[in-house]
Amino acid sequence: MEELVSSPVSSPLPGEEVPFARIAGAMVRGNCQDAGAMRALVATVVAIGPVDRLADAAEALQQVGDAGTVRGILISEGDDPAPPARVAGNTVSLIGLKPPYVNNAVAALRLSSLPTLVWWRGGRPDTLDGLAHLADRIVLDEPSPREAWARAATLFDISAFSDLRWARLTQCRALTAHFFDIPEVRAAASRFTHLRVSAGDGMTARLFAAWLASSLTLASDLTTEIEEGASGDSALREVRFGDAEQELVVHVEPGRTCVETAVSVRGHRSASRLVSLGDLSVARLITEELRIRARDAAFERALHHLLKS
Amino acid sequence: MIAAMTASASTNPLNDGLRLEPTPGPTTLVIFGASGDLTRRKLLPAIYNLSRRGRLPAQFAVIGIARSDMDDEGFRKQFRDSLAEFAGVTGRDEVAESLASRLTYLSGETDAPELYARLATRLKEVDGGQGMLFYLAIPPSVYGSVIQHLGAAGLSRAPERGWRRIVIEKPFGTDLASARALNHLAHQHFDEEQVYRIDHYLGKETVQNLLVFRFGNGMFEPVWNRRYIDHVQITAAETVGVEHRASYYEGAGALRDMVQNHLMQVLSLVAMEPPIAFTAESVRDRKMDALLAVQPLVRDDDPAGTRHVVRAQYREGWVNGVEVAAYRVEKGVDPRSATETFLAARVSLDSWRWAGVPFYLRTGKRLPKRTTEIAIQFRRPPLEIFRRASLTPVAPDLLVVNVQPDEGISLRFEAKLPGTRMQIAPVMMNFRYGTTFGGEVPEAYETLLLDAMLGDPTLFARHDFVEASWALVTPILDAWAGSGGNPLPTYEAGEWGPAEADDLMKADGRRWRSL
Repeated sequence: MEELVSSPVSSPLPGEEVPFARIAGAMVRGNCQDAGAMRALVATVVAIGPVDRLADAAEALQQVGDAGTVRGILISEGDDPAPPARVAGNTVSLIGLKPPYVNNAVAALRLSSLPTLVWWRGGRPDTLDGLAHLADRIVLDEPSPREAWARAATLFDISAFSDLRWARLTQCRALTAHFFDIPEVRAAASRFTHLRVSAGDGMTARLFAAWLASSLTLASDLTTEIEEGASGDSALREVRFGDAEQELVVHVEPGRTCVETAVSVRGHRSASRLVSLGDLSVARLITEELRIRARDAAFERALHHLLKS
Repeated sequence: MIAAMTASASTNPLNDGLRLEPTPGPTTLVIFGASGDLTRRKLLPAIYNLSRRGRLPAQFAVIGIARSDMDDEGFRKQFRDSLAEFAGVTGRDEVAESLASRLTYLSGETDAPELYARLATRLKEVDGGQGMLFYLAIPPSVYGSVIQHLGAAGLSRAPERGWRRIVIEKPFGTDLASARALNHLAHQHFDEEQVYRIDHYLGKETVQNLLVFRFGNGMFEPVWNRRYIDHVQITAAETVGVEHRASYYEGAGALRDMVQNHLMQVLSLVAMEPPIAFTAESVRDRKMDALLAVQPLVRDDDPAGTRHVVRAQYREGWVNGVEVAAYRVEKGVDPRSATETFLAARVSLDSWRWAGVPFYLRTGKRLPKRTTEIAIQFRRPPLEIFRRASLTPVAPDLLVVNVQPDEGISLRFEAKLPGTRMQIAPVMMNFRYGTTFGGEVPEAYETLLLDAMLGDPTLFARHDFVEASWALVTPILDAWAGSGGNPLPTYEAGEWGPAEADDLMKADGRRWRSL
């Protein structure tokens, strides 16, 4: 291990420090020592964000690796043009890298011929410009996403974008969509008078409402209410969509693992269904995102709609 | 109003970009044999898992039918017990409870017309919508009776906007004549598109991946032929003995239990030509072509079939660390039984692609390890310039598709050993589903049950395939029946079959892969 250099600075991320140019060699050697790590790699996942959000990203990447080995690259932005690299198994981290060099680092470290997914947990939005050219998919995951969303919307033609809020909505979207498999319900949607979306955070609720508004032909006098819960998490709580005659309801009790959908006609429930929400852990969501290669037109439409409103 | 409407997902704009897979329309699943082992071990857990994944429709109901004296609550208790034992569900589970409320039960004799009258009434009562899937998880001897009664009760024909399908478990017949008779009877009441003959091997991920591996990649198909492949070995080995299935197995044996269905399906997937599209009919047509190319195993110059087929029965031995009894002393087995628990066969395909490439099949109970695999052995290079550099005789390249238990694909090839001398040795490159993708792989029954509800018959056996398969194995059964007092070879439990199986390979200058 001659290329290992000692570092007096403690890092929140695991691994040994190595010169940047020797990262690949250190990874190979590390894997040779760990027979369990000798597995086929399936993708590169680049997590970019503040240091405090990279520690849990590293943990999530470890779990992602349990489901399919990935090369993890963890980068936080700073003002260091050449921060020391830390290597732990298949993961390399660079703390405090100058933003203009982020895409250079990713270009050098990503696996060739395999997909690169960028997990954007925060940073200068213009960094996304360079990353869009390197990444097959960029998954946004910012607490306050407006700026990143606005930047992403200009890059849709360059890379495929998604958002973890959007990924968490998948099951509820599918169940909501199921109502509209019935042509008469689709037709009735244009006469619906109210849409109420309640979620742990307002952006999730707005994204869901924007998805419906950008996908369906809705009445011009539709009243849309967004209700933000106190929890701040991005879980959807309830959707009520209908008119005085009938209402479609998607409901998730706080702390429950299932979502219930129901059709209410004149206040009486005529059909209901209970489905598991599934595993909504960050690691599971990133694993799902790794399986998708295409652009998500529905997300792009919803985001455009949200940004305009 | 909404409940009465017809589903039509084709133009639903909200489905755009959704990553979830399709959900069947309103369905009532009617299980004949609801108190049986298959229902408890496989079907009920599969239904639960499909529901947990959100793959069942909102309007879904299950009607269980069996002779056991049980009411709706009893069936629901059986459902919960089954989930606890076979699906790892402990404690109260919301999805299970929601599903349990949709389960009802009818007790009765399957040959009694009044049962079908009650079933018709119950079907009208339950909120299951227009789709009905009848699942025959019952002994094969009563398939005919149930099919006939369903037809007579008018339950096999769907009204407009509805569908009726029937899932029939293996064994589908016991020989060519009985398979034909069963097909004929089924077709009197159901159209072929309504009949789903299940072979759970086809629901396994790796078996399905064979199609992707061969036809989703450009690099394998060009070498997938007689020019590059020396031979193919298909092995389906079990460590278990006859267990509680003696009454069935005594009349079946390895040929009927494994070869006629599972191994022939796998063989056809390995040997088939590329389909023009991934559609049920195109895939099944090409599989059928492959099966039709298989040459008879009993020929005029070998009326006993011994040149191509070896059968044997296990005697006492040692498996998985314990001493085990001989087949003939297992509970429920005739002490003079001539039922084969092992079978090996050399199969030739008379086709442009496979002429001269033997397919060796072997299957058995009480073998040293549980494994199912397809091994494609390639020809050696035309000139072995590294013969002197090899530490061992140069091994031919080998592609192994592991079907179970460690699903994946391995490629063995020669590589130079590091060092200044030119030395070469075989190395393995492994792809493993579990470690590469992880996650939860659906059970075969989940995949197949869902496909039947969705109306996708790709992974089910078509009537002509079943008959063609029986046409291949029935002459062997006839030859064995006429062999009189010829002694049945035996093998020690825990070994890879009898010496005769090795001789089958030796005669061709080959040997079985050591697994």
